[in-house]
Amino acid sequence: MSIKIAIKTEGLTKSYGKVQALRGIDLEVDEGTIFGFLGPNGAGKTTTIRCLLDLIRPDSGVVRVLDMDPQANPVDVKARVGYLPGELQLYDNLTTRGLLRYLNALRGNQVDWDYVRELANRLELDLRRPIKNLSKGNKQKVGVIQALMHRPELLLLDEPTAGLDPLIQQEVLHLLAEAKENGATVFFSSHILSEVQMATEKVAIIREGEIVEVADTKELINRSLTRAHVIFKEPVANSALDGVAGVTVLSRDDGLSVMLQVEGEMDELIKSLAALPVSQFETERPSLEEIFLAYYETGAKEGK
Amino acid sequence: MWAEFRYTLGRLRGQIIGWSIGLAAYGLLMVSFFDSIVNIEGFEDILASYPQEMMAFFGDFMAIMTPVGYLDIYYFSYMTVIVGIFAVGVCATLLVGDEEKGILDLVMAHPISRSAIFFGRWSGFVVATMIILGAGWLSWAIPVGGTGLDLSWIELLRPFIPLLVMLVLFGGLALLLSMLLPSARMASMLAGGLMVGNYLLTGLANMNEDLKAVVEYTPLHYFQGGKAVEGINGQWLSGLLLAAVVLLVLAWWRFERRDIRVGGEGGWRLSWQRKLKVNAG
Repeated sequence: MSIKIAIKTEGLTKSYGKVQALRGIDLEVDEGTIFGFLGPNGAGKTTTIRCLLDLIRPDSGVVRVLDMDPQANPVDVKARVGYLPGELQLYDNLTTRGLLRYLNALRGNQVDWDYVRELANRLELDLRRPIKNLSKGNKQKVGVIQALMHRPELLLLDEPTAGLDPLIQQEVLHLLAEAKENGATVFFSSHILSEVQMATEKVAIIREGEIVEVADTKELINRSLTRAHVIFKEPVANSALDGVAGVTVLSRDDGLSVMLQVEGEMDELIKSLAALPVSQFETERPSLEEIFLAYYETGAKEGK
Repeated sequence: MWAEFRYTLGRLRGQIIGWSIGLAAYGLLMVSFFDSIVNIEGFEDILASYPQEMMAFFGDFMAIMTPVGYLDIYYFSYMTVIVGIFAVGVCATLLVGDEEKGILDLVMAHPISRSAIFFGRWSGFVVATMIILGAGWLSWAIPVGGTGLDLSWIELLRPFIPLLVMLVLFGGLALLLSMLLPSARMASMLAGGLMVGNYLLTGLANMNEDLKAVVEYTPLHYFQGGKAVEGINGQWLSGLLLAAVVLLVLAWWRFERRDIRVGGEGGWRLSWQRKLKVNAG
């Protein structure tokens, strides 16, 4: 059985006057996955998400959401999607319950209120409170609830955990995992790379309106550089590790310790170390954050 | 659309109550003054001593001694501008107000078409205006039997119909401008300015023959005011209604096709303003 595609864009471009926000975005998100969308402010994350919902119209390119064209079938698409905007704003003159009732009315009153109450309990949100009295974090909880409350097939979340305390962040990630278990696709952008690393199966990195990398999150981390710290029992010659394939010496300390960067497999390095008086050997995988920054540093250098 | 209509009315609740009370209070005041004014000894001489320009501005000022003239000059002659503030203010922010606050993004991510949002909110505005004018009408209709105005409820209702159409027309103008200009404030200022300008021009045209040719191309020239008590000019009303519909359709057409803006995504400036910024940068 072929995998269905929840989101597909081809050559998506969008400009604001002379500013080119998207420069040909090609993206495919499989159904039933949690997909992370990474990029700094202004990279084009929000613009991409808003094109998927027909809030803005691309200049060119193809957009398919749940196998539908959002411009041709905006209502059908939105009926199956839950959306959390990055800059969430709510009507201050309503209570939390009143706002959710209004948004439910826009969905044709199809929401199960027991589920809404369950979500509110899990996120520790009092539905009776007026929106104007809510903190930024509590407003974000309202945003998360309204995105999830109709059990959508696709969740488009722009910075879903922004402003939430760590425990509630974890709870939101659990909710997303549960949504995925129930068959939903989750597409979310985030600045918190550790949570993307923890929650997503696949990740896309966007830089200045272009996708620079799409990969399985684990693969992306695995195939990147590894750092190794070796401590020797006695000083070894500076040239001891010269010429080992894929190894670069980052720093040395009187021949007793050395910091290495290893590209690819560790096999060659371990064989070379076997002939040396090794006391300790530690390796360290870079975090997604370091990989992400590497892409930007590379981009910045290329730009210059 | 029903949900948008209902929630628009809800959001306008405070304005509906405030304007209704204000208009009703003013109507009651005017009704109660009629008998006193027409019975003032030598009132016609007082009127005749008014500056000719002022008399001319309101048309046939001496007609103030008749029920229709009183209603026309003391109430309907400037009611378009007064309640027009409500119409222009509400319509300029009907959609763009939420867009500027960043709320429209969330609303439009729900399964409701742009047309349904547009017409749902527009219907809310029209019904809100009808409620306010209804309060104004009741303030004349209820006490009228105890005064010398000698007008029936139906006769009193007639001038409120062209007034409603005028408000819908200027509301439609404000809504269209809000779709075209970078901000709701700019749209309300321009629509309000055009409305007041049209009012002044119509008055001045009564004093200057040369302006009459110009004023014929403006909507307020075809506003009957209190004279509609004697019968509604169907042609004028249809023309105003048609103009209102054209403005509304243009605003809807634009809303259907434009991007919904959020902070940081550009599009909040006019094209010449963007060029200036780019050149400055």
